[in-house]
Amino acid sequence: MIRAVTRSEIEEQLVAIVRQEKNVADELLKPETELSAAGIDSLDSLTILFAIEEQFKISIPDDEARAVKTFGDLIDIIEKRV
Amino acid sequence: MNRVVITGIGIVSSLGRGKAATLDALREARSGIRIIASIDPTPLNCRIAGEVPGELTEHRGHDRFTRFALLAAEEAASQAGDLGLAPERVGVLIGTGLGGAETLDQNYKRLYGENARPHPLGIPTSMYNAASSAVSAKLQAKGVSYAVVSACASSAHAIGLAAQAIRTGQADAVYAGGADAPLSYGIVRAWEAMRVLAVDNEHPSEACRPFSADRKGLVLAEGAAVLVLESRENAERRGAEILGEIAGFGATSDAGHVTDPSADGAARAMRLALDDAKLNTVDYINAHGTGTRANDPTETAAIRTVFGADAPPVSSTKSMHGHAMGASGAIEIAASMLALRDGFLPPTLNLVERDPACDLDHVAREPRPARATTFLSNSFGFGGMNAVVAVTLLPSR
Repeated sequence: MIRAVTRSEIEEQLVAIVRQEKNVADELLKPETELSAAGIDSLDSLTILFAIEEQFKISIPDDEARAVKTFGDLIDIIEKRV
Repeated sequence: MNRVVITGIGIVSSLGRGKAATLDALREARSGIRIIASIDPTPLNCRIAGEVPGELTEHRGHDRFTRFALLAAEEAASQAGDLGLAPERVGVLIGTGLGGAETLDQNYKRLYGENARPHPLGIPTSMYNAASSAVSAKLQAKGVSYAVVSACASSAHAIGLAAQAIRTGQADAVYAGGADAPLSYGIVRAWEAMRVLAVDNEHPSEACRPFSADRKGLVLAEGAAVLVLESRENAERRGAEILGEIAGFGATSDAGHVTDPSADGAARAMRLALDDAKLNTVDYINAHGTGTRANDPTETAAIRTVFGADAPPVSSTKSMHGHAMGASGAIEIAASMLALRDGFLPPTLNLVERDPACDLDHVAREPRPARATTFLSNSFGFGGMNAVVAVTLLPSR
């Protein structure tokens, strides 16, 4: 039976994806943290978006991707699509 | 015009990582050509290459050619020490023949082979100036910076152009050299299709036989070398150890066949380099010496045209490290400097029976003890683009 992925599961997987791309301190890995504050630059975020799309098998439109500011925004985008 | 001296050398090739490993291999006349390990060689007809030994763990996130450039640049910069210059006066010119071939190969495999999307950083990773960019950022060099592309002459052109930049005052120092990483599946197969590779999977170290009657072709290789070039004035002011001088640079085009070289274009480039250096002759020539039927007799004729009967001793170190494409010129200048400063001319391996059309004074099979202080490094690229660099080890005047 297919079961919806919970928000906390999404967050958990997102943390794993981010950790693979960038060394981010644990206390910064929170939904309200802005990506730039976690040291994630524009190229890092491209790689992270790519990994999200691959892992969750979703497609994120460019305008939504460009509007992302925080980890929470990423979780919202994923939650809407899985 | 400012004079241009060399105060740092960095090198990574199939002979090893760094100057010490390279010098050991040159001294012991040891080949770096082996069965390819960084990709699965099984589907290849030619499974040998001059591959950089060991697993590459540094500078992840960059293409392989950029990672080699960074390793070589770091070593060169560490030897040169603090240049004592404003970052705006320091440039980076890294030549490359193929740029981010590994990245492109992987992306095309995903795209066409697996119906998957290319990696989002494929463009900035594969661009030809990726290595110059990464070195510039790493070493905080904020002056003139670009990539130089002329196939297998790329890094010789880069070093020549870097010297011109310092001579004319565009920069006071330049990290100059070349990097290439052609050992991806698509590139090796494309070279196989040209039928110029030496295929001897059973005896990799014997495959590359420049100037030899039984030569089989070229052996692909990868790596990088970077020199720290700076104005002599700056080097003297800061008390840096001067390793040598870029005394002259000659560049010509065959304006002819794309892959068959002309003796005239090569000879003119050598003569221009000698004239630029105000030298009549040199103590040694590091030949382009690819080990192909097209190159070796033509290069011999060109050397004879320029130097006549008294041509200096010649060798091709490609016989040891393989043909590192656009990185060749820089690797060969670096290797020649290491060997000559250590008191020997590096040899051409596997040169047992000389091709009658290659009648030169060859440093064959074993290093030759010598007190040599001047040399030419020849690089001739597909497209008929020739670059020759004249180096002196003891700057005079």
